[in-house]
This record gives sequence, structure tokens and C-alpha cells, in this order.
Amino acid sequence: MIAAAARTGRAVLEPALWFAGLLVIWEGVVRLGEVPSFLLPAPSDFLARIAEDHARLAYHGAQTTKMIVYGFIAGAVPGLVLGYMIARWRLCEQLLYPLVVFIQGLPKITLAPLMLVWFGFSDFPKILLTALITFFPILVDAVAGFRSVDRRHYYLTRSTGASWWQTFRFIELPTAAPAIFSGFKITIVVAVTVVIVVEWLNSNNGLGYLVLRAMDSSDTTLIFAVLVVGSTIGVVLSYAVALAERWFLPWRRR
Amino acid sequence: MNALQPLRTATGSTRGASITAHNLTKVYGSGPSAFHALGPIDLDIAPGEFVSLIGPSGCGKSTTMLLVSGLEPVSDGSVAVDGRPLTAPISEVGIVFQDHLLLEFRTAMNNVMLQQQIRGLGRAEMRARADALFERLGLTGAEDRYPWQLSGGMRQRVSIARALVHDPTMLLMDEPFGALDAISRTQIRHDLEMLWMETKKTVLFITHSIEEAVGLSDRVLVMSTSPGRIVEEIRIDLPRPRPAHLGEYPEFSTYARRIFDIFEKLGVYRFK
Repeated sequence: MIAAAARTGRAVLEPALWFAGLLVIWEGVVRLGEVPSFLLPAPSDFLARIAEDHARLAYHGAQTTKMIVYGFIAGAVPGLVLGYMIARWRLCEQLLYPLVVFIQGLPKITLAPLMLVWFGFSDFPKILLTALITFFPILVDAVAGFRSVDRRHYYLTRSTGASWWQTFRFIELPTAAPAIFSGFKITIVVAVTVVIVVEWLNSNNGLGYLVLRAMDSSDTTLIFAVLVVGSTIGVVLSYAVALAERWFLPWRRR
Repeated sequence: MNALQPLRTATGSTRGASITAHNLTKVYGSGPSAFHALGPIDLDIAPGEFVSLIGPSGCGKSTTMLLVSGLEPVSDGSVAVDGRPLTAPISEVGIVFQDHLLLEFRTAMNNVMLQQQIRGLGRAEMRARADALFERLGLTGAEDRYPWQLSGGMRQRVSIARALVHDPTMLLMDEPFGALDAISRTQIRHDLEMLWMETKKTVLFITHSIEEAVGLSDRVLVMSTSPGRIVEEIRIDLPRPRPAHLGEYPEFSTYARRIFDIFEKLGVYRFK
């Protein structure tokens, strides 16, 4: 127990120290080299800016987080459902796969301006684009996960008289879960980028919008402050997914 | 030896079922690419009998098992269990494959109790049966371990417990010890025999091993390939329980020799 806590402590402490060291060097270079802050602000500058501007950053950060979560769910749910159908029924595979591959081939981010025309400055384009982009990797991992069920398990469930729901709940879903979570872990980070980019292109709120405003006034310090907030959101969300994995998949705690 | 809990609990343990099959045939696919996997074969297995199917790879042993349990439809012929013709998968059956096929996300006991959950049987009663089976199979203490924490032999024991916990009328085993080391195999063979002597389930045991077939069965059906057919039936008249070291019986080598000779005649073995 103590050993485990010590190990976790080290796992957190070591990267934190590395990171802190890097910031100190950064600070030193900027101060000694007298680099102007519109080119590269010192860490102390933008950290102070976060404290100073915390209300604005919190508001836009919350907007962005909300869009990430909505968009991720809007992509994950159809990804999982279609993934199951494609893995399970050949007909679905034949009907749906070409469509899915077409969506994947589309450079979806180019749809953002088009959506500005269609939907204006609403939340809908952000959610839709994030969903379109997160959908595919989640679907691919779900297909792989559901396909990894040994067909002889179906012999066992059929001879047990298991219903569709029982087979899904007791065998298929838990078998596919590790692959599904690995899809989630990759996609949640992608979703952060997508939302910020779309906000940057067409929005009147969110971190991406804040970056745009900062650029207008050459406020580099604010851009770095947004960067810190944005990556914090990314780290927190991927940690949340990892926590959910540990909660739902306790047998993987090896 | 400490007193064992009886395996027969309030369920009033079910005895083995009879299995009969006539002209049993299986052809996979159709047209020119059709593959004639099995038959026609006839089977007549008495309730509580231990019958082995032995033969080279691809002789349709596993197919026979899937047809007899109703998991694969027959191409021709019919199967009846206890006189009832089979049209759908039967549920009074326990199946053990060569791989343990345990769910990695369930503990040993929960893998066994999945039967209870799916079948909606009484929990306490099933748990008592599972405990008794764990005791018989030397699994006591392993209840809360995950499959990856168990040895290959123990995993296969858990899958035997899973196949028996719901008190089926027949046990279908497809090369259940094929993936085990020689030492585990001898032990688990003995344990299975003891369990069978106590419960008298009808067992259809598929194997490549002459030693297993002779060591366990009342009757050995020797099969040939393409298409799979039963070429010889050998009744094994040896007292039970049979010793771990079968060489103690001079009859054992006679039986083994007979099966060996059939294989040689069929061209399964080609010695120079």
C-alpha cells in the first residue's frame, strides 16, 4: 500500500519537477535575453495573467469544455452503436462501411466555414464537427473490440439460452471495453484541438475565440495563458477517461 | 479424507441423457466448394455412458459435438436427446473446449456463476453446487482469482466447473486436456473420472490421445477422415477408477495397440 502510494507519488513528482525546471530555464532565457513579451512572454508573465484574467479564462474555458464533452458524446454514441452493428452483422458491414469510410476521407475541418453560413455563431457546428472527427476512431476501436469476442463464446451463450441483451451485457460489452477505452483515450485529446480550432474559425466564445482576440491586439501573453488553460482541460479530461476505465474495468488493475 | 458436500443438492441431480443419432451428416457450404465434413454416422449413447471419439485432425469429431448439442444444424439425418428430436440448441448441456474460454474480466467463481445469472437459477443453491465442484476439482481458494492468475490446468478445471454447475444431462468435451502439460493432464483426467463416477452425466469426449480415450471411456469410437466416419467401436472393460499409470493393466496396451493399428491401417501413421 505504502509502496504503491510512493510509486504514484514518484510518477507525479518526477514529471512535475522536469516541467518546473523547464519553466525556470524559460524564465531565465527571457529575462537575461530581454526578449520582448509580444514575441515570447516569460512564464511568470502569463501565469500572472491567468490569475489576473481568471474570470474571462474560466468563462471561455468552461464553454470550450462543454463543447468538447458534448461533441465527444455525440461522436462516441453513434461510433459505439455502429461499431457494434458492423462487427456483429455482415449486412450492416456491407451497408455502413462505405459510408463510414467516406466520412473518414472527408477533410471535415473545411466544413467549418460552411457551417458558419448554415448555422451562424451557434454551438451546433462545434458539436457536429467534433462528433464527426471523434466518431471514426471510436468506431474503429469498437469494431475491433466487438470482433475480438471468440465465436465459441457464442456457442456457450447459445447453449445457455442467453438472450441478446445478456450476451451483450455479460460477454460482448466487457470483452470490447478495453479496446473502446483505448479509443476514448486517444479521441478525447483530439476533441480538445477540434473544438478550439472551430472556435477560432467561427465563434464568439470559447478559448479559440479568445486566441483570435488576443492575436488582434498582439496580446501574446494571453495566447500563452489560453494555451495553459487549454492543455489543463486536455489533461483533466484524459485523466477523467483513465479514471473511468479503472472504475469500469477493475480487472485490468494489474 | 474430509467429508465432501454432496453434489446432488435440492435440485435432485439429473442423470445423464441418452444421445441417439441416425445418418448424421454435415456438409459445409454448397455447390462445388462444398466440404463434406462428417458422416453419415450413427450414434447410440446410453444415459450416463462415457464415450470417446478419437481420430486424426479433420475427421469431424468437433463437428459431431456441435451437431449433437444443436449448435450447428445437421445437413442430413437426425439427433435425439432422451428420445426428443433436436431442433434448436439444447440447454441441458455443459461444454468444455480445448481453450478454457473463461472471461478474463470475471473471477473464477464469477465465471462459473455466469451460468446462474444467465439461466436465472437460484443463487444460493448454485453457489453451493459451485463450491462443491470447486472442492472436487481442487479449486478451493481460487474463487476470487482472475483467469490470468491461474495456471493452465486450473483454468481448465474452472471451465469444467462452469460446464457442470447447472446440473446438465450431458457433458461435451472437445479435446479438453489438449493444451495442458502431461502432469496436469494425468491429474485432471483422474479428477474428471471421479467426478463422472459420482454424477453419471453422459459424456461425449473428443480426443487425439489414445491414452485419454482408453483411460476414461466405456466405449471408444474410432473415426477416419474425409468424410468423417466411425470405423470401429471398442468397448473398454477396465475396472474403475482406473489408475493414473495405465500400464498397470496389461489390457491397456492391448486396447491401445488396437486403436494404433486402426490408425496405421487408415494411413494416419506412415512409418518406414
